[in-house]
Amino acid sequence: MNNIEEKLWEYIDGACSAKEREAIDLLIAQDETYRQKYLDLLALNREIAAMEMDEPSMAFTYNVMETIRADYAKKPLKAAIDNRIIKAIAGFFVFTIAALLIFVLVNINWSAGHTVVMPALKLPALKVFLSGSVVKGFLFFDVVLLLFLFDGFLRKRRFVKHS
Amino acid sequence: MQSKLSDIELIVQTLSGDQSAYACLVKRHQRFVFTLALRFAKNREDAEEIAQDCFIKAYRSLASFKQESKFSTWLYTIVYTTAMTAMRKKRVDTPSIDDEETHIQIENTSSGYDVNNAENKSRSFYVDQAISQLTPDDATIITLFYKGEQSLEEIAQTLGIEANSVKVKLFRARQRLKEKLERNLKHEVKELI
Repeated sequence: MNNIEEKLWEYIDGACSAKEREAIDLLIAQDETYRQKYLDLLALNREIAAMEMDEPSMAFTYNVMETIRADYAKKPLKAAIDNRIIKAIAGFFVFTIAALLIFVLVNINWSAGHTVVMPALKLPALKVFLSGSVVKGFLFFDVVLLLFLFDGFLRKRRFVKHS
Repeated sequence: MQSKLSDIELIVQTLSGDQSAYACLVKRHQRFVFTLALRFAKNREDAEEIAQDCFIKAYRSLASFKQESKFSTWLYTIVYTTAMTAMRKKRVDTPSIDDEETHIQIENTSSGYDVNNAENKSRSFYVDQAISQLTPDDATIITLFYKGEQSLEEIAQTLGIEANSVKVKLFRARQRLKEKLERNLKHEVKELI
């Protein structure tokens, strides 16, 4: 019986060969049981094909597009920047450095002597900047920065725990 | 105007930054995607969430759509995998099409039945009812074949199986649908008598 049904479904779906189709045509015309089975399956096929599709809520498209818009707005700047712009900036710098290097190499006087005379360097008096109040201020700034970072770390940990 | 454009034309417009073109694609496919999601979720809220998730995922990976298949086939693959994942997350039992022993029978669904309602019920109501009693796999194959305008090869691509397996699964799904339909109709007749 299953075999008959299988063949009839293939016949209904139009998935059988011309030869098989002819054979089934003949069986439907001559065999009453076969014809009845075919008519039953054909009716079922029509009913399934006529089933209605479900409709989502009215705001469905709006909700999808709003989520996409929000998603796009949340995108980090790094991802939003066109790669071509980054490549153009990188190209500019590479070109400038290369041009500078070529210019320098071309203008070097290679016949000059190999003894290098360094100009005398006059270093600024750093001791002025390392007075007690400056060091204290610097340490205070460091402590505040450390506390700020520690607070951020604790908040992050708490957020991860809760989620 | 946009509604007259083909899926591919709308995709090209979307990729060039026109979000209204994607809204048009969503409108075009939302009914089928929602129906397919409903085959898994069994309630409208979850189905709508799955369907929404599918369109968002499709938007994000639209650039990777290579146009080797129909957009609908590609979209239905996303729907199928998203719905399967969502159902696994919810730990809802979604038995395999081949596992008949684990098949859940939903009986006595016609509670609150009265004679006048029964007279008004069309055959399509019983078909819908019988489909909702099938396993998600059975219901999906039937929906893809009849409503998704998908060939056996396209369904195979969506479900990630061979076309021959789809043919067998479709045959079994239709058989089970027929059984359910007959059982439900017998039940209604008994109540009438």
